[in-house]
Amino acid sequence: MNKFLRTLIPADIAKGLSVTGKHFSQVFFTANRRKVPFHIVSEYPEVPAKVQPRFRGRLTLLKDEQGEIKCVCCLACEKICPTQVITIEKGKKEGRKMPFPVRYDFEMERCIFCEFCVESCGFDSIILNHQFELAAYNREDFSLGTEGLGQNMFEPSHVGKFSVADD
Amino acid sequence: MFKNEEMEINLGPQHPSTHGVLRVKLRLDGETVTHCRPMIGYLHRGVEKICENQSFFQGQVWTDRMDYCSAVANNLGWAEANEKLFGITVPRRAQYIRTLLNEFNRIASHLIWLGTHAMDIGALTVFLYAFREREDVLDINEAFCGSRLTTTAFRIGGLREDLPPGFEKLVHKFLAKFSSCLEEYENLLTENRIWKKRTVGVARLSAEDAIALGVTGPMLRAAGVAYDIRKAFPYAAYSEMDFEIPTRTEADTYARYQVRMAEMRQSARIIQQCMDGMPEGPVMAKLPKILRSEVNEVYHATESPKGEIGYYLVGEKGSLNPYRFHVRAPGFINLQSLPKMAEGGLIADVVAAIGSLDIVLGEIDR
Ligand code: SF4
Ligand code: SF4
Repeated sequence: MNKFLRTLIPADIAKGLSVTGKHFSQVFFTANRRKVPFHIVSEYPEVPAKVQPRFRGRLTLLKDEQGEIKCVCCLACEKICPTQVITIEKGKKEGRKMPFPVRYDFEMERCIFCEFCVESCGFDSIILNHQFELAAYNREDFSLGTEGLGQNMFEPSHVGKFSVADD
Repeated sequence: MFKNEEMEINLGPQHPSTHGVLRVKLRLDGETVTHCRPMIGYLHRGVEKICENQSFFQGQVWTDRMDYCSAVANNLGWAEANEKLFGITVPRRAQYIRTLLNEFNRIASHLIWLGTHAMDIGALTVFLYAFREREDVLDINEAFCGSRLTTTAFRIGGLREDLPPGFEKLVHKFLAKFSSCLEEYENLLTENRIWKKRTVGVARLSAEDAIALGVTGPMLRAAGVAYDIRKAFPYAAYSEMDFEIPTRTEADTYARYQVRMAEMRQSARIIQQCMDGMPEGPVMAKLPKILRSEVNEVYHATESPKGEIGYYLVGEKGSLNPYRFHVRAPGFINLQSLPKMAEGGLIADVVAAIGSLDIVLGEIDR
């Protein structure tokens, strides 16, 4: 008898439907009316996504106040990188006591964003910035460096300009 | 005219309910499975060998990529195995933070499991709700270490940085709503007749079989064996925590569901205790500049969300990298129980069995 009643009155299904119904009505009746909307989906490419301050994005070389590259070629970052994506060539520059990186190549396609390089650098000359839209159409776009076409180790890279918002 | 013939089919490797690239070879008699063998190796990267060629410090990034749903738990095992090898004592505050993040990771991993398992069986709604909460856990990961999935959260000897400002707020916000969210999932599933029909009594694995096959984690606890490394061999700060080991005796898919749901509640409890009793102090032990090992071997097991994850490390004199590195991956060993669970059942229940195993192929194939 009990079993028959339970088959007749689908209380379990109603319980499930009440959960979905609650969420539906919350979103449906308060849409555009509340400061903090109930729905959690963000309109991503139009509304930029927020990242936390410690976010690990793309590797960026820093410059000091005089516009000089801060890196002094101690090669610590090159050695610690688990995927060996950093290649540095030591060199000299006139009017600078410290060694100067003639080449600082960064193969972003193999970088795993672990931040070991930043941790190992004792001169605070690199950071991982907050850029996370790092897709590109061409493989060459991932070869970054200080000179030539890939001269973009200092700013957010041109990689990632292909987002929907640009169209 | 009609012949009774067995049919052999492949489930996977690109089947959405095999959770990655698992191929299951099935021999069917009508709809009944008579023979079932999981075929693995599609995601093999040679993580163990790679780690043998990298320094102890660098090895951690590969543990992230084994079980990517519970990267923090893997990092913890790796860090603690190394600390055992080098004889390092980790400061107490670091232990607490590790425990805290590990439990958050358990919640995230179980939420993925809940969502995908329910989706395999046909309840899509839970998937969306579970991923909503998982998003908050990933935000907490991001706030602490800067990355959401492949965390590289810990360092040998402690932590890289202390908790960020505003971390408590994130945690309390999560804890405040999490129990009501769990109730939501349970309202959708626990009493649901379709869910019960698909899970109760399906894919049984008795305690004897589970122990014989070396199955650990929620799979074992759903068979009635209260074995949890957090209690049996406490690591990190678990010896100071007050929590229970949820068990069930039915040993079916439904019991595993109940065990994992109860575990999430316990995790929330541990997180609360960690936040309340967080000691002050440094988060990094004093280390030599370069870690060089002695001749030594260690095995360190921790309780990852999937079961016992063990790291076996052999050191060579003066070496920068491990001489031998081996991972006892819980998913790999739990997967061996699939034939036991699936053979004799219906083919539709194979999906439920795979789902209840909670496997991640990155860890199985390594
Ligand atoms: S973030 Fe990691 S992988 Fe990327 S360059 Fe730095 S050390 Fe190498
Ligand atoms: S560790 Fe810092 S200073 Fe040394 S080479 Fe790398 S970026 Fe330059």
